[in-house]
Amino acid sequence: MKRQKRFEKLEKRPVHLDGFVKEWDDEGLVAMHSKNDPDPSLKVENGVITELDGKKREDFDLIDQYIAEYGINIANAEKANAMSSQSIAKMLIDPNVSRSEVAKVTTALTPAKASDVINQLNFAEMIMAVQKMRPRRTPFTQAHITNTLDNPAEIAADGAEAALRGFPELETTTAVARYAPLNAISLMVGAQAGRPGVITQCSVEEAVELGLGMRGFTAYAETISVYGTDKVFTDGDDTPWSKGFLASCYASRGLKMRFSSGSGSEVLMGYTEGKSMLYLESRCIYITKASGVQGLQNGSVSCIGVPSAVPSGLREVLGENLMCMMMDLECASSNDQTFSHSDIRRTERMLGQFIAGTDYISSGYAGEENSDNTFAGSNMDVLDYDDYESMERDLAVDGGILPITEDQAIKIRQKAAKAVQAVFDGLGLPEITDEEVEAATYGSTSDDMPKRDMTQDIKAAQDLMDRGVTVSDIIKALDDHGIDDTAQAVFKLAQQKICGDYLQTSAIFDKDWNCISAINDNNDYMGPGTGYRVWENKDQWQKIKDIPWALDPQKVDF
Amino acid sequence: MSSEVDDLVAKIMKELNGNGGTATKAPAQDTTSADPDLTAKDFPLFKKHPDLVKSPSGKELKAITFQDIVDGKVDSKELRIAPSTLRMQGKIAAEAGRSQIQNNFQRAAELTSVPDDRLLEMYGALRPYRSSKQDLLDIADELADKYHAPICSNWFKEAATNYEKHNKLKGDN
Repeated sequence: MKRQKRFEKLEKRPVHLDGFVKEWDDEGLVAMHSKNDPDPSLKVENGVITELDGKKREDFDLIDQYIAEYGINIANAEKANAMSSQSIAKMLIDPNVSRSEVAKVTTALTPAKASDVINQLNFAEMIMAVQKMRPRRTPFTQAHITNTLDNPAEIAADGAEAALRGFPELETTTAVARYAPLNAISLMVGAQAGRPGVITQCSVEEAVELGLGMRGFTAYAETISVYGTDKVFTDGDDTPWSKGFLASCYASRGLKMRFSSGSGSEVLMGYTEGKSMLYLESRCIYITKASGVQGLQNGSVSCIGVPSAVPSGLREVLGENLMCMMMDLECASSNDQTFSHSDIRRTERMLGQFIAGTDYISSGYAGEENSDNTFAGSNMDVLDYDDYESMERDLAVDGGILPITEDQAIKIRQKAAKAVQAVFDGLGLPEITDEEVEAATYGSTSDDMPKRDMTQDIKAAQDLMDRGVTVSDIIKALDDHGIDDTAQAVFKLAQQKICGDYLQTSAIFDKDWNCISAINDNNDYMGPGTGYRVWENKDQWQKIKDIPWALDPQKVDF
Repeated sequence: MSSEVDDLVAKIMKELNGNGGTATKAPAQDTTSADPDLTAKDFPLFKKHPDLVKSPSGKELKAITFQDIVDGKVDSKELRIAPSTLRMQGKIAAEAGRSQIQNNFQRAAELTSVPDDRLLEMYGALRPYRSSKQDLLDIADELADKYHAPICSNWFKEAATNYEKHNKLKGDN
């Protein structure tokens, strides 16, 4: 065929490197609704759910059983499920109906009914509903802090910079698994040096992660995965009862946690039962609710390549975030995985969550260059900061990331690298040299860092665990080296774990350790003039307006 | 590591009774009926009611000072949430319409007295294909008898029944 020149050019656009597939219901390659999805149904007898979404109690699988037992507010269930899906969808976007009124209905729905409600909404309506239904009034976002060499000075410096930019939660993981305690400590110290009150996590195997929290090296966890089919849940090496128990283990040690789930995981793991991604995700959301976990990281998360390949896929992703909020759960709304070669689609990906505002718009945003992101790359990274901040300024949207000056960045990075240098010295870990501190202060990637003896680091990490080092030793190490303010911040974090305020829904801390959650910062959106408006948060808006690269026309010679 | 909470509880009992208690009993004064009624207005406890928040050994929150930690006078086991605090946070959550969170915190309150290593083992036992029905029922008994954790004990019994029905017991894979 003689090629048409415009088509030849179009094929060379980055979007053509992305994956797109047609729907296939029987393999679950369908976003919003599959022909195999059950019709909503519910029967309650003597306060017990005896039929759920087309299944009798004796036919329940383990997930149905768990949801029926714990996940649905039974008192209001028959009444709520008798309402039409369209009327519930209208409540979601009606500014005259408050969030709490809507939640009374939505927390009593069955999973299939909740899916049907989401199916009534177009993308713009979902944005309106998310704006009202997110539990916390003030939106924020979260960052990943990693590097491919697990360099502690760089983790601390990147963590501090992200903290200063406004992220209230930071998440690390490892390139080499046995670095986990070092990465957790480096991030906690860097975050507290950057902005007291920022909480940190280290995503590793479930039991190891809890162990890090028990020693006080982390403050929260989020990668506690749940799945929508029994087979995949079992392949994930858990059951609803084990995950529910794990949730209580975390709370018993004063540690915040949320579950994690997302559309496409069942497709990738091969057992969808031919159900739609939205319906399977609804089951994950209900498992989370049933477990009494305060929140969920969802929105396809690392499986975004699957829903983004099918029609209405990114609508489904915002829809599952919304369903999470309808269940009155904190929502960390993903936007955390590379999925597209197209900058336009990368922007499209986060548009709904960004405009509406969620508890954490990204979970997380790459707080390093994507080449150093050991979560396999995020949707946006540090090199997108200025674009992102311009968008916040253009649209008067608080996306949770603030501009800082180069001078501020240098100072805070150096402070954090020096703090972690002191902690490594105080804990008897392999030295962090002045050369490393300098490189972490002025560098951008792990290529800029001097190489460490990784064998020695790994041995030291194990030794540190064997010696029973805890957060008290970190506080002492900082104090011994005269780093008073960071020592105080780590101490205050330890105090908060005794107090448990941040176990409540959607909780974060400000720089003065005020706990801000859905309890005392309840989303009160009811139309124009209500809810969170960035220009009413005057300090925040001033910072967003004052991007360092804007000219002051009164000081420019024309 | 394995007995750090045990040691702590023993210490508490000793302080309370003057003659030492068994290492595995939950503190006797820590009963649900003694917990105050709380609502959203009482949140955050750190600012509004620091006096109600106690360390595991019963010290007031503000009595655990930075200097004491630096001087090595505070055991890191003291830097943990107490069961009474979890139940107070549970009440605040339930008052805000989140009864499931309260249920979770009630389970958690019971688990504060289970040592770290044993807790991790119990979690492992609930993972699929790890335990026989009897293994799960034994842990249920342990939770009830040794740790006075009736809700968590029931959790294991419920799992035993459901795992049997849905083939998640040891040897079912």
